[in-house]
Amino acid sequence: MLTAPADIHSPCSHPSGSLVIPKLSRGQLHEIHLSAAALATAMAFAFTASGTPAGASMPILLVRAPRLAGIRAMPFGEGLAGLGIDPARLLLVEARDNLGLLRAVLDGARCSGLAAVVAETWGPILEYDLTASRRLVLAAEASRVPVIVLRGCGVTGKRAEPRASAAHTRWAIRPAPSTALEARAPGPPALEAELLRQRGGPSGMRWRLVWNDEYGCFQEDRASGVAIPLQQPALSGAVVPLSPLRAGPAASLAA
Amino acid sequence: MAPAPFALVARSGNALRLAAVDAAAQRQGLTVGMALADARARCPALVSQPQDPAAAPRALQALAARMQRFTPMVALDPPDGLMLDITGCAHLCGTEAELAAQAMVEAGYTARHAFADHAAAARALVRYGSAEQDVRALPVMAVELPTDALSGLRRAGLVTLGDLARRPMAGLAARFGEDMVGRLRAILGEAGSPIAPRNAPAPIRAEARFAEPIARTEDVLAAIEGLLHDAARQMEARQIGGRRFAVMLGRCDGMRLRLGVETGLPLRAPAPVMRLLQERIDSLADPLDPGFGFDRIALAVPRTEPLAARQIALTGDAHAHTDTSCVAALIDRLTTRLGAGNVLRLHPRDTHIPEASQHFAPASQGPPTVWPASSLLRPTFLLDPPQPITALAGVPDGPPQRFRWQGQLHEVTRAEGPERIAPEWWHDPVGHHSPGGLTRDYYRVEDAGGQRFWVFRHGLFDERADPKWYLHGLFV
Repeated sequence: MLTAPADIHSPCSHPSGSLVIPKLSRGQLHEIHLSAAALATAMAFAFTASGTPAGASMPILLVRAPRLAGIRAMPFGEGLAGLGIDPARLLLVEARDNLGLLRAVLDGARCSGLAAVVAETWGPILEYDLTASRRLVLAAEASRVPVIVLRGCGVTGKRAEPRASAAHTRWAIRPAPSTALEARAPGPPALEAELLRQRGGPSGMRWRLVWNDEYGCFQEDRASGVAIPLQQPALSGAVVPLSPLRAGPAASLAA
Repeated sequence: MAPAPFALVARSGNALRLAAVDAAAQRQGLTVGMALADARARCPALVSQPQDPAAAPRALQALAARMQRFTPMVALDPPDGLMLDITGCAHLCGTEAELAAQAMVEAGYTARHAFADHAAAARALVRYGSAEQDVRALPVMAVELPTDALSGLRRAGLVTLGDLARRPMAGLAARFGEDMVGRLRAILGEAGSPIAPRNAPAPIRAEARFAEPIARTEDVLAAIEGLLHDAARQMEARQIGGRRFAVMLGRCDGMRLRLGVETGLPLRAPAPVMRLLQERIDSLADPLDPGFGFDRIALAVPRTEPLAARQIALTGDAHAHTDTSCVAALIDRLTTRLGAGNVLRLHPRDTHIPEASQHFAPASQGPPTVWPASSLLRPTFLLDPPQPITALAGVPDGPPQRFRWQGQLHEVTRAEGPERIAPEWWHDPVGHHSPGGLTRDYYRVEDAGGQRFWVFRHGLFDERADPKWYLHGLFV
């Protein structure tokens, strides 16, 4: 049964002129583009930006194909605990190839008892086309589970080109320099999130997010003032729904 | 050289006492119940191990299962005996004595045996007498009274069961209690002493035979589903669920094909098992070849666990249960398709070495364990193995100022550390006097682009002349 997507922020302008960052809403498919060294940052964003308070103890399904990974890394339980995610919630599935990975993601999307399904993919995937993503969207809407597909650069350095897909939002996540603590120690982790595409909403914005330990999630860094809205505030009086903007050419994607 | 005397010790009260001794220890004069300190004083070469209280009953149950070979009526005779009712079974092994000899050999333990017409008499004979004795010549200990009552009997001059039997029962009952008289009469054969043989539960089986062999896949799957319904009825009657299901397809030329699925939680409903079997059939290397057709399909449920009937909830609280069962079904399906080694959970290990502090175990093996809370800053991803980098750092324990990884130069703008992680010196027999391994100094660094890494220097400058640097983890 198709329901109207929840958690979407209408494109009314924020008093300061910038738009509020949309969450990785439940029951939708989201894509995140990243480079190999941004794996931890993007994974933390995927795990924490989709949280619902009630789902704080449900398992998180992480599907990987380790042989095709751009970097040989494995999730570290103590690090996840530091992010406020109980490592016992992580359910790790290792597939042999991309087809097995997509099938496992589809099975996970149909299970309503999961907090999120995160797929870690590298390089361009032939099998992940419009039909496959549409199937994922249908499964996610039925079970209200957020499905997040991370698309990283492949082993040979080939970028995962953004293809036509039924995803609700498409992001590019890059780590950002943090504000230093005393003695030049690294401060709370920061990242730059660029919304490349949003179905039924504006896109093209960039936010600088900083990790907030109290709330256990990334929050906008208002102090820095880096948020650059790319469109003008709405005209007075009428609230005009803006047509979704296509992302510009991939020059903004850092390798 | 004779083996050292061996004893099992258990804690009773404040002292460690011997719970069991072997023959060599008995020859040295050690007895059950003696304190371990006294035993060591008498016999300095004593080897002792802590007693596992659950091991003996388990071994006895296993032995009882093996004794079913001789007779179907086998009962436990606690704490360390078995009662076999060999009425009508002795001719299979020749005579009763031969049956007993074969049973001794089968048991494998050092054992004694005795024959009698009644179970209580057999028990008394084997524990307090010998196989050929007359029951009335047994000492009064055979009635198994507490020690003060026994001393009372001895003071009264009653030494054997024959003496007791000559006394009027009413007087004995008044003095020593009804159950003493009841046991005495059971040993003498005046009252019955039935045994309760253990019955192995009948295995869950269902079978279908076909007059005409069937070859089409839909027909085979429909037949299997019918057998699953049958097995579900049997399991529901016993309130159990199956953890492993085995299907045997018999071709009409005699060849047999087998399929098996395992689940994480006990299941009764046919539909999830059918889905798992479908996954198993899809993941077979060669497709099922029916030949000229299957004429026999059998289903067995070798492994079962208790499963109570689930109350269908009318309120929304049912969602929690369906969610957990949904996750369990997902784990089963992915395990059947990808293999148990590819659907994993994280389990903690009690060590401070980062790469050894966790291990992955198949999710189907059990629920997740609780992770201890830790306040250390650790990376979200660990590189396996740590990647070598070339770094420039200030001596002796300054953080790296720049490093090169995979051909790319990273300028470090922020750094925190060092955190010293030393090797586990306690594994070494020499202990902390030996180097053991190289100490690692970990640094959390951030480069100009904002990427945060966990790098370490392998070895202190005192330990190694030219320590190498490695990249071990990626921070958020």
